Amino acid sequence: MWFAIDFSSHTPVYVQIKDNIKASILSGKLKTGDYIPSIRNLAKDIGVNINTVARAYRELEIDGVIRPQRGEGYVVVGVQSEQIREELKDELLKLLRKCKASGIKHDELIEVVKKVYSGNGGEEFDT
Amino acid sequence: MILKVENLHKYYGYGRKNVIKAVNGVSFEVQEGDIFALLGLNGAGKTTTIRCILGLCKKDSGDITYNGKYKIAYVPEGKDLYGSYKVKKMIEITKSITQEFDENKCLKYINEFKIPQNERVLSLSNGQKTQLYLSLVLSQKADLYIFDEPTWGLDPVVRNRILDMIKAIPLEGGTVFYTSHILSEVERVADKVAIMHQGRILEIGYLDDIKESFCAVTIERSASKSSTVPEIDGYLYKSTEGEDIYIVKKAYAEERHLDFQPVPFEVLFEALVLGQKSQEQDKTV
Repeated sequence: MWFAIDFSSHTPVYVQIKDNIKASILSGKLKTGDYIPSIRNLAKDIGVNINTVARAYRELEIDGVIRPQRGEGYVVVGVQSEQIREELKDELLKLLRKCKASGIKHDELIEVVKKVYSGNGGEEFDT
Repeated sequence: MILKVENLHKYYGYGRKNVIKAVNGVSFEVQEGDIFALLGLNGAGKTTTIRCILGLCKKDSGDITYNGKYKIAYVPEGKDLYGSYKVKKMIEITKSITQEFDENKCLKYINEFKIPQNERVLSLSNGQKTQLYLSLVLSQKADLYIFDEPTWGLDPVVRNRILDMIKAIPLEGGTVFYTSHILSEVERVADKVAIMHQGRILEIGYLDDIKESFCAVTIERSASKSSTVPEIDGYLYKSTEGEDIYIVKKAYAEERHLDFQPVPFEVLFEALVLGQKSQEQDKTV
């Protein structure tokens, strides 16, 4: 596996590794049950320190994207639910920025959030 | 933990007035497998710190603990070897005075770098001399490798080759501690950094964490001067016509509901080091 790391980017290297692996899963290059490279091999391939790759894998494991296979490395679990959540949050973020730019107050927005999460008038969002 | 430095002090000069506090209370830890970069401008105290670690100069106070099984391998700033010796002879001498020296490994490097073995050291180019020095040191079995400005004066191709060699050290179980003032290089190689300035460490940690924990905020100058807005707790990076740009902790910006932008490491470094300078000047005025 190889992808380019932008070392001078303000995006931390471990985040770039996470994003690249997630992108590989989303695009179908990596499928559920596939092995991803060992920490050592990926470190070697993309020219990044082992500690940094280990950190990316640790976080991907916490996010439920990969899981360790006893003694054999890491396999892909999937990226679905987590990905959708992130996309939704991104959409919300854009919308919130528009709200802010058009002068809607912080408190007003908090009221909307409260309304949805307390269930009053926000039934369609129930989880 | 392979190396621990606690509250290290090293002063140069005599009398009360002329003392230079080259290292002024420096503490850090290097863990196994780290590539740890000590980063700072010329004269920040990097080389003195290394010399204290190696026992090449006497520290004034502080503790240094080294936990390795083997001796520390070291490439100094001036890559001086015996000029009148041929490369071949230089390898033999190194072998005779170095414990755990792998001659075959060394010859492999020498061949890779295409350094002529029958050439005298003084007739090698600057790049070849550095490559020879690194070949000798990397063939020494060590838990910790220390490099002082290893890529100084090298062309980009050779520099990249050297950086790749440094990057490969943790893959074979070693640990690296090195100094540099070239930020782009440090970003490519190191995973942990300490920013040193005027004998002190300003910021230390994983490079990724440092990048993530700082951001830039833009403050309108009229607002920052009014009494209702207290001063910004950060480093002034730049001033435009109507605004001041500060580098602050992200947590601080969020707490204060300030709009913030991510910043590249270079900007962060500059703000920290230059900001520090202005603060110190203020104090003395």
